Amino acid sequence: MLKVGFHRASLQSYTGFKTAPQTEGALFYGEKPFDPGVVKDLEAQAEKLAEPKTVECAPGGA
Amino acid sequence: MKPELTDDQRRAILEAIRGKYSQVAAGGAQGCFRYPTGKEGLELQKYPPDRLAQIPEDILASFCGVGNPFSLGLVQAGESVLDIGCGAGVDSLVAAQLVGPAGRVVGLDPTPEMVVRARANLERLNLPQVAFQAGGADSLPFPDEDFQVVISNGVLNLVIDKEQALREAYRVLKPGGRFQVADMVLVDAPPPGEAPSPESWFQ
Repeated sequence: MLKVGFHRASLQSYTGFKTAPQTEGALFYGEKPFDPGVVKDLEAQAEKLAEPKTVECAPGGA
Repeated sequence: MKPELTDDQRRAILEAIRGKYSQVAAGGAQGCFRYPTGKEGLELQKYPPDRLAQIPEDILASFCGVGNPFSLGLVQAGESVLDIGCGAGVDSLVAAQLVGPAGRVVGLDPTPEMVVRARANLERLNLPQVAFQAGGADSLPFPDEDFQVVISNGVLNLVIDKEQALREAYRVLKPGGRFQVADMVLVDAPPPGEAPSPESWFQ
């Protein structure tokens, strides 16, 4: 869902209906953003946050 | 992820799905699935009793969804709703009550027998805001930004190209539109040694 552009996309809960021992019903929700640019901005921010922060500490750890 | 299937495998899967759901269209959902269907299934998934009371019980008997898409968000009066894989139309008929006469509901199903059944069900109810038509989730016959809400119930697990189906749902939604879907997910590994078959594409 995220890949095609939905945001606030998530598996909300399981429904308890099982079609097989290994499968179960689940509820999914997503929204189409008002501004597709918002999604791109979030992606850009995520990339920046992925960069490791370096903090210079004064001697003694402060 | 698009599965790597041969054309013969795709045809076999689509034929198996159509075969199963044409049986459901003809004879109802009871006994066709491992989970509760019909009115029992609707009540277990907490569909509003006052909405179910507006739909004849023999129509409710055709419900074979795996959850309640309406529990994910309020569908409001005047909104436009697309029900992908509508089957005999129970979710579409519930949506019609929620959107009211100023709204619009379109139920889409790839199984011709289901579309016939849904239209026959609709003829018994005074819901001019609803229409049923044939079509597939991976190529929705609607313009961009046509609906405020897309719902689906136990359908996308049957679609071979799920990413394409999601792209199409996104395309037809208006900005700010909501995608409210119930579907099957794999919660455990399949039994070891189980040979893949068209019938195992769905349960």
